[in-house]
Amino acid sequence: MSMLSFERKYRVRGGTLFGGDLFDFWVGPFYVGFFGITTIFFALSGTMMIMWGAAMGPTWNPWQISIAPPDLSYGLRFAPMMEGGLWQLITVCAIGAFVSWALREVEICRKLGMGLHVPVAFGMAILAYVSLQVIRPVLMGAWGHAFPYGIYSHLDWVSNTAYQYLHFHYNPWHMIAVTLFFATVLALSMHGGLVLSATNPGKGETVKSPEHEDTFFRDLIGYSVGTLGIHRLGLFLALAGVWFGIVCIVVSGPFWTGAWPEWWGWWLNMPIWRT
Amino acid sequence: MKIIFKLALSIWVAFMLSGCERPPIETVQTGYRGTGMEQIYNPRTLIKQASLNQAPAAPDAASADGPKAGKAYQNVKVLGDLSVGQFNRHMVAITQWVAPDQGCAYCHNVQNFADDGKYTKVVARRMIQMTQKVNQDWKPHVAETGVTCYTCHRGNNIPTQVWTEPKDRKYANSLLGDLAGQNIATKEAGLTSLPFDPFSPYLKDAAPIRVNGNEAMAGVGANANRASLKQTEHTYSLMVHMSESLGVNCTYCHNTRNFQSWEESRPQRVTAWHGIRMARELNNEYLTPLTDIFPANRLGPKGDVAKVNCSTCHQGAFKPLYGAAMAKDFPELQVVAKP
Amino acid sequence: MSQYQNLFTYVQPVGPLHEGVDLPRGDDKRLGTPFLVHLLGRIGNAQIGPVYLGTLGLASLIFGIAAFNIIGFNMLASVDWNPIQLVRQLFWLALEPPPPAYGLNIPPLAQGGWWLIVGFMLTVSILLWWARTYRRARQLGLGTHVAWAYAAAIWLYLVCGFFRPIMMGSWSEAVPFGIFPHLDWVSALSLRYGNLFYNPFHALSIVFLYGSVLLFAMHGATILAVSRYGGEREIEQIVDRGTASERAGLFWRWTMGFNATMESIHRWAWWFAVLCPLVGGIGILLTGTVVDNWYLWSVKHHVVPAYPLGSPVVVDPAILGVKP
Repeated sequence: MSMLSFERKYRVRGGTLFGGDLFDFWVGPFYVGFFGITTIFFALSGTMMIMWGAAMGPTWNPWQISIAPPDLSYGLRFAPMMEGGLWQLITVCAIGAFVSWALREVEICRKLGMGLHVPVAFGMAILAYVSLQVIRPVLMGAWGHAFPYGIYSHLDWVSNTAYQYLHFHYNPWHMIAVTLFFATVLALSMHGGLVLSATNPGKGETVKSPEHEDTFFRDLIGYSVGTLGIHRLGLFLALAGVWFGIVCIVVSGPFWTGAWPEWWGWWLNMPIWRT
Repeated sequence: MKIIFKLALSIWVAFMLSGCERPPIETVQTGYRGTGMEQIYNPRTLIKQASLNQAPAAPDAASADGPKAGKAYQNVKVLGDLSVGQFNRHMVAITQWVAPDQGCAYCHNVQNFADDGKYTKVVARRMIQMTQKVNQDWKPHVAETGVTCYTCHRGNNIPTQVWTEPKDRKYANSLLGDLAGQNIATKEAGLTSLPFDPFSPYLKDAAPIRVNGNEAMAGVGANANRASLKQTEHTYSLMVHMSESLGVNCTYCHNTRNFQSWEESRPQRVTAWHGIRMARELNNEYLTPLTDIFPANRLGPKGDVAKVNCSTCHQGAFKPLYGAAMAKDFPELQVVAKP
Repeated sequence: MSQYQNLFTYVQPVGPLHEGVDLPRGDDKRLGTPFLVHLLGRIGNAQIGPVYLGTLGLASLIFGIAAFNIIGFNMLASVDWNPIQLVRQLFWLALEPPPPAYGLNIPPLAQGGWWLIVGFMLTVSILLWWARTYRRARQLGLGTHVAWAYAAAIWLYLVCGFFRPIMMGSWSEAVPFGIFPHLDWVSALSLRYGNLFYNPFHALSIVFLYGSVLLFAMHGATILAVSRYGGEREIEQIVDRGTASERAGLFWRWTMGFNATMESIHRWAWWFAVLCPLVGGIGILLTGTVVDNWYLWSVKHHVVPAYPLGSPVVVDPAILGVKP
């Protein structure tokens, strides 16, 4: 059994959303659950389709494999398998797998008597994926607007999609999202560093207390958000970053077709100071 | 307290949304599927654009019979091979294209049409030659569609989209605040902080536009690619101008994963390459020599003549007037006359 | 569901404010009387202050404020001293590094000289601040993990503004001080050096950037989810594992087959966050010095995907001998 020393007492029945006791068991360290089954189904199908697509393609080089969406001319219809239909099926499997994973996390939380913060946070990531591959293409009228499944090919899509707006850095929601992403890294380094500095204080020192943690940041910058607050802050920064990332790309195309630098015209041309 | 917060939030949201458009939008795929090479259009904007970029109807063709204009009139230096009827037809068209309000008197002394007293007549003569040059020798750019005076002027004395060298800051010689040719909000740079005069180096002078090298590794000595980030920003600014002038984005010509590669680019890039060279020739051979002819109020803040860039003809359309073929009705504008 | 999610604190008990753990002799007294801000207390601690100024802090602030002012006055000067235009065009304004012609020489003040001065002063300020983060930790008997994380960020800053320009032989390669202008620098770097997406260190740095966002979402959410068991008392949980840590660990073990501990998650956090600027700095340092074109480098290393080309194949008109 791959159980931790304290694990047995936590392995109780219950917490399931669907299916009752039927799938309420573990395989090694993994909890299964009904949504574990659906996860395996979608993930395996999707992966096998990617493999098949690679087999039909020009290469097995993992950096070069790419499964592309259909041409824009197919609109929102189903495309032939070799003309983007495979991509469509893989996307369905991806969404199925991600949602299954989130619902499985809900079952695990319920079983452990935990809040549902983790699956809700993961929901934001799923929303980002669905926004890119479903919501924005639907708003623009074709599946072909979504990104291809390939390590470097999806970066080519990012580059070209960004240059559709001449200079994507001027997208104000992108600016906010980037700021929040970098703020998240900053806060994570500070939080990880602070906890480690208190519990690994160096030779000859005893483990320190939260009072020391607070004092460090008060001495440094005049404020310490505290042990609970930093986790709220970190979760907020991360989710807000993803949220504004979603906003910045859903707006690009459906709600703004021009160059992003031109958007700033409203600010520059305000009657109080236009030149 | 809560009301103020809600009010502030609504104002902020309204501001953020104020610059926005709405679906449905139109898209055109310009590369392999999934690469993200697309043109994006707002159909409502396109309809407005199309109505603003109509070509006027050409007057009926005149007969080629009768005496030549060069013999019948005095001081005819261009278009002399036309018949009087054709010549007058052309003059009517020019008036409509360039000076519909002022009429013949914009260029001519109406007591003596042959008189060169008005600078506009001297300029117009040279511009007729310029138009002929474009249509005859720049087919790699203008193809068989060609241009007429209307392509730039659109019924205005001065085309709305011309450029002159930017004026210096008021305190240009001070110890602080050198702009280094960029870092303010200008229309020329498409509201970016990129250099605000990409025209002088590339559409007047022939500075190199390319900044990428052909080797993966950084070269040493003579093989080193010495292009700077500053040069790159200048090129980028030119490209922003070209894109905005044509109402297209970078993927119209390039696959941005590898901007420099011609194999991965679209044929439109070749057309643009010729367009840059054409703009240089027009600015250096036709417009700059006219500097002393223009009165001071027609010159830029540094005393230079108004010059052409991409938006002078294109004015937001991927082909000027969306490809309306005006030149075909004016064969006299399609050949450079023999001296 | 009407269940309290512990996202905001509804009841803020107020007690005596904390003046801070005693400092060893040799340190100055702290500055300011601490006070409470109720709105802050809904998210984290309500207490603001006291702050420790100290010699290092004071010196860092002096250099930093000087640098900030030089940048600001140059921006104001660049709009002809018009304060309204300063506000209107603030995002567009900049203090620009010297033009390429000066190489690594000292340029005139107005053409990059101020930039060099600001660069120097800001660097001194940042390094003094680093020393402050180190010293404050040592004086409180803490480990210096925060200081070393900060060092990774300083590495990236120095690569962009100092090491790389020197290796390239030109201050003009450095980053301008300005909102939009520094974004133009980012674009220009990618355009000039063959698409930075194809720089493998850049890609790895992004993995750590997105990974950090992922990790903080995971860790923040996990702690909040077990906060009903005192999960946010992390030091206590580390030295004396309680049911909060056990449930948190088991959640991830059952979800993905492995888990961290209350201490080790903070090591994951520290390394992901630190590796983002560390690896990114390596990638920038190699750009232009070792590799001139990352796309072509990637072609050489067989990672570039192939697409069908357009037809007919486009040829460079410059090499065709076409009339220029």
